[in-house]
Amino acid sequence: MNRIPSPRTVLMLACGLLWLVPLYLLVVNAMIPAAAYPGEPSWLPRDLALWENLRTAWQDAAIGDSFLNSLFYAVVCGAAGVVVAAMAAFAVVVLPVPKPTLWFWVIYSGTIFPLQMFLAPLFGLYADANLYDSRLGLMLIYAAWAVPFAFFLVRNQMATLPPEVTEAAMLDGATFRRLFWQIHVPLLLPGLGAAFIFQFSAVWNDLLFGITLSRSPEVQPVMAALTSLNSAYASSGPPVILAGALIVSVPTLLVFLAFRGLFLRGITASAR
Amino acid sequence: MSQTLRAPRASAPGRRSRVPLRSANSPSSHGRSLGGPLTAVPWLLPALALVGVLLVYPFLRSVYGSLFEDNGFERSFVGLDNYARLADDPIFSRSLLNTLMWVVGTLLLPVLLGLLIAVATYRMRLGGVVQLLVVLPYAISGAATAVLWNFMLTSDGAVNQVLRAVGLDSLAHPWLLEWPHNTIAMIVASTWQGTGLNVVLFAIGLRAIPRETLEAAALDGASGWRLFRHITFPQLRAVTVVVVGMAIVNSLKAFDMIWILTKGGPSRSSETLALTMYRETFRLFHVGYGSAIALVLTVIVIASAWLYLRRQMPTSARD
Repeated sequence: MNRIPSPRTVLMLACGLLWLVPLYLLVVNAMIPAAAYPGEPSWLPRDLALWENLRTAWQDAAIGDSFLNSLFYAVVCGAAGVVVAAMAAFAVVVLPVPKPTLWFWVIYSGTIFPLQMFLAPLFGLYADANLYDSRLGLMLIYAAWAVPFAFFLVRNQMATLPPEVTEAAMLDGATFRRLFWQIHVPLLLPGLGAAFIFQFSAVWNDLLFGITLSRSPEVQPVMAALTSLNSAYASSGPPVILAGALIVSVPTLLVFLAFRGLFLRGITASAR
Repeated sequence: MSQTLRAPRASAPGRRSRVPLRSANSPSSHGRSLGGPLTAVPWLLPALALVGVLLVYPFLRSVYGSLFEDNGFERSFVGLDNYARLADDPIFSRSLLNTLMWVVGTLLLPVLLGLLIAVATYRMRLGGVVQLLVVLPYAISGAATAVLWNFMLTSDGAVNQVLRAVGLDSLAHPWLLEWPHNTIAMIVASTWQGTGLNVVLFAIGLRAIPRETLEAAALDGASGWRLFRHITFPQLRAVTVVVVGMAIVNSLKAFDMIWILTKGGPSRSSETLALTMYRETFRLFHVGYGSAIALVLTVIVIASAWLYLRRQMPTSARD
């Protein structure tokens, strides 16, 4: 309509730009050569050393190893957790389980409590079973951690499927395995996808399990490595640390931009 | 066989009717083809094993462990002494206060700002761009955000630099080194990260309001604050319940930001319950005492979630 933007528009655009300032500083200061950091944040890009800083963070500060670790943990444990949860949801919704509500609460209880409630006994358990500081140990807890919420999400979806779908397939003589993999899984793919993306981000972003159950760079997930980078490089200045922060943000940023719809679906369900 | 199986199902509460196969009027013939109760075991077992061994057992073990004095090597039963000690522990009181500040701060800042930005950008030219800018930090993980804000908030960081540049030297602070500035600064940092999600959720809620509702209210002469207060906001109720519920639970669990920015310091002044539990258990090896704190935190989380949801849910949907 009119060409002059309203005060509201101006205010909101200013707000959006204000929000962008920390991200701008992140990128600009990750570009400054680490040795030439002036001691104060720089507001203008100088000497493009982004690549060197990224490489220092990736190789010397071992973000690279833990990046690959976390990618592996997030993909494998996210997927395993979702499949295990979908199987349990299938059992509770479709199969004749006595007391389905009980099983529902047993599995779902894992999602309500703060992680602090699990940490100390898990540490003891892992120390006894030689799982402390091992990839397998982290994978097990990440998969288990993924189950409750994925179960909740998938079960709600599965319960909305018309029973005729199951009945028709049973009449045709389908086994449970066929019923699950060829009827339920394809029909529920968006819900399973939402659960997977949610768990992928949760595992990728995890810090607490990482610092509690692992120590060595070969095992540590990426957020734990970023935290040690943050304290180890504190003296030599922020460019390498910020480059590290840039690196670890890439996967979740891509996932978020690519699957925004599915992502929000997982989030909104999480609070119900 | 189907007859014996139906008995427990029939006694199930009403919510089960949402599960199609268990509704009372579904034909009984399918029960015959579904086999006995053991058919479900292999389907349920992986989930139960993972959750049982790695989540439920540690949970129960924590409850039990909180009754012991335990330094990681030897332990002795002390009953409820750990809980009694909490009452006299100044660090615990400070931690509780910080936790409360996190909850209140998260409700005031990210939730209110999120609502404000969503309403202000609703049907605005470039509104989508503003929303995207605000939600961008959400896609960055908590640890990366913390690292970035460490850079912003250190004594010679960007925030103080800006304050000095515009002549507000007196406002420049060693933000992370003094209480309560450190807790407030970290709440602001997590506001920067968390607001975007609330904006998006509120925006979804706004789009779901029927256009006719707003038009009818406008015809009746409602506008501005009155329109928002009496028409728009009540229509956002469902979204608000979700956003506020998430804000409460997540702020009670806040850990990453604080651990990276201050490690709960200096001298434990910015610890929240989540941090205090971690430090007591894994740094000071007061395992039993840490478990007691974890249980207190858990009870607070569950009680607030339950009270809040019980108040907010309409009675019909409560079951």
